[in-house]
Amino acid sequence: MSSHREAPEISKDPVADNTDVYAFVSPDNPNTVTLLANYIPLEGPAGGPNFYEFGDDVLYQIHIDNDGDGVADITYQFRFQTTLQNPDTFLYNTGPISSLDDPNWNKRQFYSLTRVRRGHETLLAEGLASPPCNIGPFSTPAYDTLAQEAIHVLPSGETVFAGQRAEGFYVDLGSVFDLADLRPFQNLHVNPMAAAPGVNGTNKLNVHTLAIQLPKSMLTHDGSNPTNRNDPRSVIGVYASASRQKARIIGPNAQVEEVGPWVQVSRLGDPLFNEVVIPLGLKDLWNTKSPSGDRQFLNHVQHPEFSRRLTEYYPGVFSHLAAYSKPRADLVAILLTGIPAGIIPGFQNFTGETLADLLRLNMAIPPATAPSILGILGGDLAGFPNGRRVVDDVFTIELRAFAGVTIPLVDPSFTPDAASSLVTDGLDPSSSITSPFLSSFPYLGIPYSGFDNPS
Amino acid sequence: VPKLTRRSLLQQTPISAAALSLLSAVPALAAFPRSPAAPQLSATSTGSMVVRVHNGATGEMTLLVGAREIVLRDTRLAASLIGATREAGSHS
Repeated sequence: MSSHREAPEISKDPVADNTDVYAFVSPDNPNTVTLLANYIPLEGPAGGPNFYEFGDDVLYQIHIDNDGDGVADITYQFRFQTTLQNPDTFLYNTGPISSLDDPNWNKRQFYSLTRVRRGHETLLAEGLASPPCNIGPFSTPAYDTLAQEAIHVLPSGETVFAGQRAEGFYVDLGSVFDLADLRPFQNLHVNPMAAAPGVNGTNKLNVHTLAIQLPKSMLTHDGSNPTNRNDPRSVIGVYASASRQKARIIGPNAQVEEVGPWVQVSRLGDPLFNEVVIPLGLKDLWNTKSPSGDRQFLNHVQHPEFSRRLTEYYPGVFSHLAAYSKPRADLVAILLTGIPAGIIPGFQNFTGETLADLLRLNMAIPPATAPSILGILGGDLAGFPNGRRVVDDVFTIELRAFAGVTIPLVDPSFTPDAASSLVTDGLDPSSSITSPFLSSFPYLGIPYSGFDNPS
Repeated sequence: VPKLTRRSLLQQTPISAAALSLLSAVPALAAFPRSPAAPQLSATSTGSMVVRVHNGATGEMTLLVGAREIVLRDTRLAASLIGATREAGSHS
């Protein structure tokens, strides 16, 4: 998956598990950038009576590096508080929820938002309401209206939302983890079967989303409005994290107390980085680190296991890739430094020599009028790996990159295998995601209801 | 300070029976002279304090209080904590 249950320890702590990060110039408001950070993987919509929610004991953060050192210059911190209106019922709601202050809604979440800019903390808002989970047509009959009520426009310039959304990441999980037995290509697999269409393993599941939309000028190092795509100041690096306090004490009468400094237990920048680049024995360590220290993981990017496995699982299909032994400078650029100017005409998202897994967005590149789900591989400079939009097929883009299609960007002597520009898990969001993306903030679709998606 | 995660705290602390407790609840410590090296803690602290003794021989410890972590080295305090656990045995 992108980063769902990607490491042994965090897979046991879903409330703190980053699943996806998105950063893109808002297509309907191009003077702004939208940042999305998803948590809680694979939420079954019918998972009541204690429906999914953010953790009151988790510090959720979205970080922005705007000077290329891999260290956050701006951080948005979300802290949640859950309230129970009626502890004497087992129900999440005792009747239809028609508004965010409806007395029928028993278990509610509120949050504060703090901005940390170069060490200076500013509490931007508190008591911001999250929407309920999408229960079903009797309990949450006008869900979109509830969600709209939970979009908060702050005097400080940010628009924020925090709550349940339909999962937007699409991937054929069942085939990927069956040793990359990609259905459209399984006739070429070491265990051949007839080729078949892909199946989206995350369809009809939900996540919990933190969303911020803010003017571009609030993200640049010097407050300038990025208009020149060649200007390094136009590029930001984004990642999200979750932290818990060091110690947890389970006391009598179900009391739980947490104490000590916050310790990062999950992070995410580029999709699939921890998932497929970092080996099992290092994944939990990676989750605790700052991107600025990612040089220690460089070898796993330069010599990725995933590329080697492709050559094993598809014998003879990736013969050029199998013979390529040089360090993968293309992947280092895509994942750790950004792509320098002069490699792709009209594009750069280079942030310097610091090796850091960040989602890098050149904010001066306007939204595409006809986005390609293959992003830059599809000739669309506004898509992944220039940031990431909800529509981007990041699995196929990275699959093809790992298969060698991007090597010629840095090594013209290499000829990619024919399959490297074709290989895919066979999914398109228009047909594989039931709840469609929205055309406006927060862009991810209306969450699936438990009643309509019982299993 | 060795890496400490919330998950490993209980399992890895060498004297785990003593490591998690209200410090003030250990009678042997009530009159224990505070090391000059020990930081002054707020007298208004009301939450629990977690003490982790990393190494009884060197006295290396960390105190978790509120959202803070305080590292100190105090062989006498460490010895007293270890002694308290031996005297008290384990409680369930």
